[in-house]
Amino acid sequence: MEIYQLQDVSFTFPLSDQAALSHIDLTITSGEFVTICGRSGCGKSTLLRQLKSILTPHGKREGTIHYAGKPIEEANQRTQAAEIGFVLQNPDNGIVTDKVWHELAFGLESLGYDSGSIRLRVAEMASFFGIQHWFHKNVAELSGGQKQLLNLASIMAMQPSVLILDEPTSQLDPIAAADFIETLRKINQELGTTIILTEHRLEEVLPVSDRLIVMDDGAIIADDTPRRSGQTLFQMKHPMLAAMPSPMQICAGVEAGASAVPVTVKEGRQWLDAFLQGIPALHRESWSQPVVNAVAGVGKRQKPVIQFKEVWFKYSKDASDTVKDLSFEVEEGQFYCIVGGNGAGKTTTLSLTGGLVQPYRGKILIDGKNIAKMSAKELFTNQLAILPQNPQHLFVKKTVEQDLYEMLSGSPLSFVEKTEKVEDAVQFLELEPLLARHPYDLSGGEQQRAALAKVLLLEPRILLLDEPTKGLDGFFKDRLAHYLKKLNAEGVTIMMVSHDIEFCAKHGEVCAMFFDGSIITEKATKAFFAGNSFYTTAANRMARHVWREGVTIEDVIALCKQSS
Amino acid sequence: MMKDSFSSFHPIINFGYFAAMLLFGMFLMHPVLQVIALLCALTYSILLNGRKAVKFNLLYMLPLFVVMAVMNPVFNHAGVTILFYLKNGNPMTLESILYGVSAACMFVTILLWFSCYNAVMTSDKFIYLFGKIMPALSLIFSMVLRFVPRYKEQIRRISLAQRSIGRDITQGNMLVRARNGLTILSIMTTWALENAIETADSMKSRGYGLPGRTSFSLYRFDSRDRLVGGALLALIAIMVIGEVSGRNAMRFFPSIKMAMTTPFSIIVFAAYLLLGMLPVIIHVVEALKWKSISSKT
Repeated sequence: MEIYQLQDVSFTFPLSDQAALSHIDLTITSGEFVTICGRSGCGKSTLLRQLKSILTPHGKREGTIHYAGKPIEEANQRTQAAEIGFVLQNPDNGIVTDKVWHELAFGLESLGYDSGSIRLRVAEMASFFGIQHWFHKNVAELSGGQKQLLNLASIMAMQPSVLILDEPTSQLDPIAAADFIETLRKINQELGTTIILTEHRLEEVLPVSDRLIVMDDGAIIADDTPRRSGQTLFQMKHPMLAAMPSPMQICAGVEAGASAVPVTVKEGRQWLDAFLQGIPALHRESWSQPVVNAVAGVGKRQKPVIQFKEVWFKYSKDASDTVKDLSFEVEEGQFYCIVGGNGAGKTTTLSLTGGLVQPYRGKILIDGKNIAKMSAKELFTNQLAILPQNPQHLFVKKTVEQDLYEMLSGSPLSFVEKTEKVEDAVQFLELEPLLARHPYDLSGGEQQRAALAKVLLLEPRILLLDEPTKGLDGFFKDRLAHYLKKLNAEGVTIMMVSHDIEFCAKHGEVCAMFFDGSIITEKATKAFFAGNSFYTTAANRMARHVWREGVTIEDVIALCKQSS
Repeated sequence: MMKDSFSSFHPIINFGYFAAMLLFGMFLMHPVLQVIALLCALTYSILLNGRKAVKFNLLYMLPLFVVMAVMNPVFNHAGVTILFYLKNGNPMTLESILYGVSAACMFVTILLWFSCYNAVMTSDKFIYLFGKIMPALSLIFSMVLRFVPRYKEQIRRISLAQRSIGRDITQGNMLVRARNGLTILSIMTTWALENAIETADSMKSRGYGLPGRTSFSLYRFDSRDRLVGGALLALIAIMVIGEVSGRNAMRFFPSIKMAMTTPFSIIVFAAYLLLGMLPVIIHVVEALKWKSISSKT
């Protein structure tokens, strides 16, 4: 049965002459798991909001949308609330009440169920989602992943027939994101609920999707099984290909017209083995050896600008240590990445480096000077700057331009000099079209850029970044990498903490693994990932049985091409 | 410390008990009843808060009691039994001294009851009770309790981010600090409004605003609640009868006059003691029951 039928749907926002959606034809059958991907601003979210008319923004719509055989306008608010579940991007914003149990009951209360039925439904959902252990907790005590799971569970308690999710995992760390996708799979498989979601990180979600829809500029450019949609993208040589899982990209890079495109790492390995069949193993070994040697050595030593000497830190007197016996050095001009699991103390290390918190034992030296003895002014002018995890926390004015000038308000420069500096930053980060807009109206990637411009006005020599790729699509990630590399080339030292292994592997110079409050290992990027067996890129996991040092997609493609 | 069993009763029982004890504590001035109330409140507060309560009572309640008892006769000179004259010529009367002690006793008792009330009546119990009367109000309470920690966390994060560019309230001179503080507050407001739109979407999307909204709670009024509720009502009834028949009467001015102690007043006193000690009795009985069960297995 068709649950949704969209015929020639176009949508235009008020005061805009460009259509956000143009001529969308789409049929979704009951029980399907549909993933929609596309660049930020391609109209994914706008499309999702058309599917639940009480959330549709103002604007002009053409064409017809049928829900369960009837025009969607005929489905009243009660039907839409009960049958169409909608999960928002930010887990915090979706939650309304202060207690987990109350949140689970919220929708059912609205629909006017009696206490007995609510009790049963809530109990069912809590058991299905494994929430019973934190059923009585305050929402404020939950982790981000738990909050998003709670959002999902509170909607599932209303037993919807279709679940719509707008980038539900973009604010979660990779482990929590994988758990969340797994829960969605379970809902789809065991309850038969139709799932429609938009997503940037496709590695986990594609293997469980029945269909992949790719959007570009408000139109659908591919709509088929994930495998075939991927193939369509190859044929079009579309930039969205860069968002596909690594095995798919490698296959596309090597065999342009491959018949069976791999989606998972497992399929990628099988594909690689089949591809390499007939090429003698000896031949492959002979040239892979020198690469390992080449990456093993770290270049000549520079002056260290960040030094940690046996640093210990805890948040309160009775708490356990967050950072334990941490010693490391970042040399001038390095691009230093710290990777590691959640809650290992990565962000705390960054706060320590920025002098936001003080260690209770050990020393931190910035450019040879003890940070504890530096004033804020000394530390943050022409020396060190931090780009916080959420760029929104930096914005304080009504427009991007005012915000940039605000950054220089305390400095003794003349107006002309200030203008010059701001213009430089604007040019460097290509912010001209955004200057007059409110910082909160920008997309995630644009906000990141504006925040970076703000921070760069301090002319730092050391730039600290906290999860800079969180919630960004592949396109914006590449842009960010481009700016960072340009800065790096100008001599700015960059230290970054991240969950995003792929990004670190592609752009980092030195990578360090953080675990249990300390750095376990630190190596040049290639050697680092070649030395890990699980905590490494998808491309490496796919090819490491043949080439240990094939870390990035480009590496593996090059290696494949050389050997054939 | 063991969890208090009285807290596990239905919120209406908890609330009814405290309402009764607070009212009686405020209006009954009969010395025997006052001593009973003080004793009960003291015992229960120590049971609930343990060593912390003992420390608090000795450190704050005792001095408060003394100060209040002394202050009254210094300023209040009514009463017929004059003991001596103060230097400024004002009389010091027996009545005003005793009234001071009585008022101080009442005040401390009420404070103690409130400290117990705070420990027992958690926010969700309060929300539940008011939800019965005004469902919309109870949702607002719940949302406020969600937003307060969230806003606090957000302010902390913004302040940390601002500190990392040297613009926090802990940095610079007074004027700069004040300006930075205002900036943080203003961006906080923008953030709150911006995010409230999404929360509103989430509420709308889950059918908020449809007619016929119900209010769900985890509480159930079971037989245990009925039993204790019955006992509560019976004891309160005895107290009210005692009051109406004048058994609890007490007069301080112009001369002290106390109601005669009759057999019925003994019953009233006993009822008050039982009422005041009800949570403690419940706690002890449950603890004993638990011991006997666990010793059998």
